[in-house]
Amino acid sequence: MREKFSGIWRIVAVVCLLIPAAVLAEEGVTDSEIHIGQWGPQTGPAAAWGSVARGTDAYFKMINAQGGIHGRKLIHHMFDDGYNPAKTKAGVKELQEGTGMFAWVSGVGTSPGMAVKEYLMERKIPWVGPSAGSLQWITPPQKYLFAVYPLYAMEARTLVRHAVKQMGLQRVAVAYQNDEYGKNGLRGAQEELQKHGLALVAEVPVEVKDTDMKPHVMKLRKSNADMVLLWTSVSHAVRIVGVSKAMKFAPQFMSTSTCSDFPLMMHISKGLWEGVICATFGELPDSQKALLQTYRKDAYEAFAAKDERWGLFFYAGIIFAEPLVEAIKRCGPELTREKLVQELEGLQDFRGIGPTVSYKPFDINDPMSRQGTQETMLVQCLADGKAKNLTGWIVMSE
Amino acid sequence: MLDFLQMILSGIAVGSSYALMGMAMVLIYKTSEVPNFAQGEMGLLCAYFTYMLLDGFGVALEIAIPLTLAVAFALGAVLEFAVLRRAKNPSVLSMIVITIGMEMVLLGLVSWKFGADQKTLPFPISPYDSVALGDIYISSLELLTLGIALMLMIGLFIFLRTTRLGMAMKATQQNFNAAKLMGIRTHRIMMLTWGISAVVGCIAALLIAPTIMHPYMMWDPLLKGFAAAVMGGMTSLPGAIAAAYLLGIIENLFGGYVSIEFKAVVAFAIIVLILCVKPSGLFARHYVKKV
Repeated sequence: MREKFSGIWRIVAVVCLLIPAAVLAEEGVTDSEIHIGQWGPQTGPAAAWGSVARGTDAYFKMINAQGGIHGRKLIHHMFDDGYNPAKTKAGVKELQEGTGMFAWVSGVGTSPGMAVKEYLMERKIPWVGPSAGSLQWITPPQKYLFAVYPLYAMEARTLVRHAVKQMGLQRVAVAYQNDEYGKNGLRGAQEELQKHGLALVAEVPVEVKDTDMKPHVMKLRKSNADMVLLWTSVSHAVRIVGVSKAMKFAPQFMSTSTCSDFPLMMHISKGLWEGVICATFGELPDSQKALLQTYRKDAYEAFAAKDERWGLFFYAGIIFAEPLVEAIKRCGPELTREKLVQELEGLQDFRGIGPTVSYKPFDINDPMSRQGTQETMLVQCLADGKAKNLTGWIVMSE
Repeated sequence: MLDFLQMILSGIAVGSSYALMGMAMVLIYKTSEVPNFAQGEMGLLCAYFTYMLLDGFGVALEIAIPLTLAVAFALGAVLEFAVLRRAKNPSVLSMIVITIGMEMVLLGLVSWKFGADQKTLPFPISPYDSVALGDIYISSLELLTLGIALMLMIGLFIFLRTTRLGMAMKATQQNFNAAKLMGIRTHRIMMLTWGISAVVGCIAALLIAPTIMHPYMMWDPLLKGFAAAVMGGMTSLPGAIAAAYLLGIIENLFGGYVSIEFKAVVAFAIIVLILCVKPSGLFARHYVKKV
């Protein structure tokens, strides 16, 4: 009888020991794996930005080949949302509730990101480096959302400031995508011009479905703008520059970082992108920076698909994931979401191959507590598709 | 005044690609009474085929284009023979669903084979070089599109009016069974119509591809071409053409003088309006079938 009870007690003791471990184990983390999710358009009109997720994938494979982080492999769950917010939401829910992600990284687009922001934040799931410079990520700031991408509004301000102060251009017009992305750029340009006692000479909205850009260019031409800021998709930007050339309208074009992959822009514009000035968020593709060269060799050459191109959009996937990887490393073997947040908040002047990233302890009244960078770099497209660095990394001030 | 003239010219220029797609849709509708929603993707496949020949195999343009047109004809004919003709007791609705299915398959095929990255078709005429008429501009490619569209219109008009084959196509559309009883090989006529329509759609795609090329590039031209065909009356070739140019001009004038934000949807608002007032379209005769 005593032996029988002793057996039962042993079983109870083992179960009691196991329960806390099971309860305390963080979702998406096992002894050997860390599950991280990401969406990105591999098809559809925004597919040019599909290489962001493929860049992150190659980066994680590189880390795994080097032994992972504290003995754990990074398991990357990437899905194609076609830049369709409904698909983004469905895909995120499926992965989160089916497989269970520890955290999410990058994710292309303001609208797709907005579709899942609330879902992730309510569940206290960390999301690092959305691939869009929207103010929506930080107004108000969210404890578990860490932005890396420079703010579009700040980029626009920096470009307009460069045009007005360095180039003496006074008549500024904006062609903007008629959504949150485009309006961030428009707002930045308006605010900066106001500072200089100027106003936009034309504001031309571009609908995502528009294909004929002649009416838009006619409005820009009519305004006699000497600088046109393009805050549109890649294909719309190229068409506006092309139609402008056909209509003998030749202002200085400037554009957002989403159009700063110059080899791609030169290819699809058949060389017309030459001379365009863009803001950018990463080292230049031909930079000799050692870390960039390492990524090129160990991530891109080792793990990217054969027909993948080494370009800004590809290694953007690395830039947006670097702070997450660094924070996971700093967490040590005991990885939890709260610890990850703590380590991310501790990142100060962290520099990978993008701008300097710093966060602060969470403060609902300080949007900058979750905006990782305030730096950008202005570059000009050269005839061979290479970039001329105009400013180096500069801090975008209010 | 200059702006007004520029808008009219721009409208005519953009209307040409709508007209080509509209013509392709009307041709099929005239014989089978099916709006072919795979029309755009049939052209898309052909444009990518040309791209593969030019970029991948280094074939000369003067060989690649005729070869592509032949492939387009074969594609149209094969799709009619192998897919549409196999439908059992087809209603118009089921035929429409079949064309939507074909559209998905062709789109998937292009995305799988060529990827979703943006490309441009190597073409000797740049879409961004222009011809100036005083202070009014039209791009060289648009001028070429306009010329080709006009030539095709005249060619098709003469073909349908004066040749035995054209007559047979019209007869097949007007009464399939009677045409069959009169000795017309109606199935062959259908196949031929799909082939010719695919060639017209392919030409539209080839003239769009030098500007921008990605798997979704034919969606807008297809929708606008379809809108023009509906406005024109679906069975009227001149109607579809006139409506396409009208659509292009209205879009440009609306964008210039009223609202650039709603320019893209004005075409569809016009369709609703026209169909409310004249359900058979602007140019088609309203046939009443006897029962």
